[in-house]
Amino acid sequence: MAEIRPDEISAILKKQLSGFENEVDVYEVGTVLQVGDGIARVYGLSKVMASELVEFPNGVTGMVLNLDEDSVGTVLFGDSSLIKEGDQVKRTNRLASFPVGEKLLGRVVNPLGEPLDGKGTVQFEKYLPIERKALGVIQRQPVKEPLQTGIVAVDSMIPIGRGQRELIIGDRQTGKTAIAIDAIINQKHTHTEEAKKYGIKPVYCVYVAVGQKNSTIAQVVAKLEESGAMAYTTVVSAPASSPAPLQYIAPYSGTTVGEYFRDSSRHALVIYDDLSKQAVAYRELSLLLRRPPGREAYPGDVFYLHSRLLERASKLSDDLGGGSLTALPIIETQQGDVSAYIPTNVISITDGQIYLEPNLFNAGVRPAINVGISVSRVGGNAQIKAMKKVAGSLKLDLAQYRELEAFAKFGSDLDKSTLRTLGKGARLVELLKQGQYVPVQVEKEIVSVYLGTNNFLESVEVKDVKRFEREFHEFAELKYPEIFENIRMTKELKDDTVALIKKAAQEFIEKFKKS
Amino acid sequence: MSVYRISYRYANSLMQLAEEKKIYSKIAQDADLIYSSLEASKELRTVLKSPVIKSTAKKNILTKIYQNKISKETESFLEFVVEKGREDILFDVFKEFINLRNKKEGILRAKVVSAVELNDSVKKKITSKLEKETEKIVQSKFVVDERIIGGFVAELEDTVYDASVRHQLKLLRKKFAEEISI
Repeated sequence: MAEIRPDEISAILKKQLSGFENEVDVYEVGTVLQVGDGIARVYGLSKVMASELVEFPNGVTGMVLNLDEDSVGTVLFGDSSLIKEGDQVKRTNRLASFPVGEKLLGRVVNPLGEPLDGKGTVQFEKYLPIERKALGVIQRQPVKEPLQTGIVAVDSMIPIGRGQRELIIGDRQTGKTAIAIDAIINQKHTHTEEAKKYGIKPVYCVYVAVGQKNSTIAQVVAKLEESGAMAYTTVVSAPASSPAPLQYIAPYSGTTVGEYFRDSSRHALVIYDDLSKQAVAYRELSLLLRRPPGREAYPGDVFYLHSRLLERASKLSDDLGGGSLTALPIIETQQGDVSAYIPTNVISITDGQIYLEPNLFNAGVRPAINVGISVSRVGGNAQIKAMKKVAGSLKLDLAQYRELEAFAKFGSDLDKSTLRTLGKGARLVELLKQGQYVPVQVEKEIVSVYLGTNNFLESVEVKDVKRFEREFHEFAELKYPEIFENIRMTKELKDDTVALIKKAAQEFIEKFKKS
Repeated sequence: MSVYRISYRYANSLMQLAEEKKIYSKIAQDADLIYSSLEASKELRTVLKSPVIKSTAKKNILTKIYQNKISKETESFLEFVVEKGREDILFDVFKEFINLRNKKEGILRAKVVSAVELNDSVKKKITSKLEKETEKIVQSKFVVDERIIGGFVAELEDTVYDASVRHQLKLLRKKFAEEISI
């Protein structure tokens, strides 16, 4: 056994103490006038800044939100029962901020940067304020690189670009979180050596959980860990049990981490799950601070709450390193009501939305994306050429199918071309179905969509479409690997590749029919 | 309207009246007297705050207490406040008045806490040191509190100069609780 000499210990302790300066400490204080419901009114603190952190006794921190004539309104990040009237409040001279750095990846933290995963203290580089002004026009450039979610329906018809803000909206239990998690898992590919070879830059992810059940968050983290996605992901968690102020600042904290990656010319993806709960938390706070209520009792600045958050998503100009911050906010609607206050606000702020429907979900169309009303306003520019080429007619075909489908329910004798359109549509819908946690590589997506839109599936039974797709991918990978290689390399769908796909498809259909 | 705003208005008008009639020092003295008496007597404050007691009774009480002790102007000010039904914030008004006066004359009130009773030379030294630091006239009030173990704590309005052993120990504990780098 190794021996430790007592004098060694005292030397170490002495060394620790030597750095300790015995100086007069000057700080500013105030007194708690009133406390309750997570709010404290403080007398004094005359020089305090808005949104500065203040220290209460018993390790509770708070944030200044209201600066009144004779008192200061603060929200508490801890238990208000630990604080009583007359307690001393100390200024920290620090705006509410969040630790950022490389070491935050793989961690689960609360919105103040304190660890929740039991892996010890969080190592960080620096603190950045959680509220920062969004960048202006000069610092930005149009979205141009794709962010592949690995979901065929999204990548083909509602493409998302790096630096975009795309809303995921839908009722409860329609698979909103699933899309977000799939998008995170799919970024694993961007961190590989192979992706580097094809010029795809890695995407770092931040998952912000607001007002969710702790069990759900644990599930998400476990899933991310299982698929190896935690290595490049930070989870900022403000569960339903945490005080409203923490839920309110959680999205801002998450964005701060994303901005750190963006500003060091890398790419980040931030998911806010979900912003309707954040709005509710903010409403609670505002009402307790006696700010006047407006529509649905939300305060007047609830639009600004979300606009200033999502405005921080951006694609930086090349002068600033060309980093990007993509935002995927999630909004939960009540009984499909998208005309409620918060959904309309966020729809108008974002660059498009992915609309999920319970009807589709229950009919087995998963992901339950309603492609008719889902749009992406800027992602099209970011799509790779090959995808643009094959996906063009997909949306049209599906629109035709939906129109006829409603119509065909009544009539029995339909002409041949109508039947054909219906058959094609049914196969396309089947093709776009996808399991959870199995994101698909973009080159495979392209080949699948190509087969669907170019009538190669006509001879395949609807129920066999998924099997056909899977087996074709395996077949092509073995016998014609250059199809995928060409698309990956050139990002285009050249005529020789198309010819190869056709050849492979014909060859495979023969085989498939026999089986 | 908040109590602060109302009391500020009353205090400010009293201040202006004093300056106008050039009886500033007299009124300041009265204010000190009234403030300290209100501070000392909780009963008086309760009486003034009570909505059950009639304003004529309150007026009588106030005149009886302060008659011949304060100037005529202050007396009529008290009467005016009661007439307007603001006697409940009388204490705040005078508090605000003293604040205004301190600001005007550059006076800072300090509370100095020490673990043991200090002798006069140390008290003077601390006060002069604080005056030098803040560049204002400091009126110190000395309090003994054994809980700070040693050293002293000076509170000037919102700012605290903490040189107590208790605080040093707290800092030391915090430092050790953080990551130890060896």
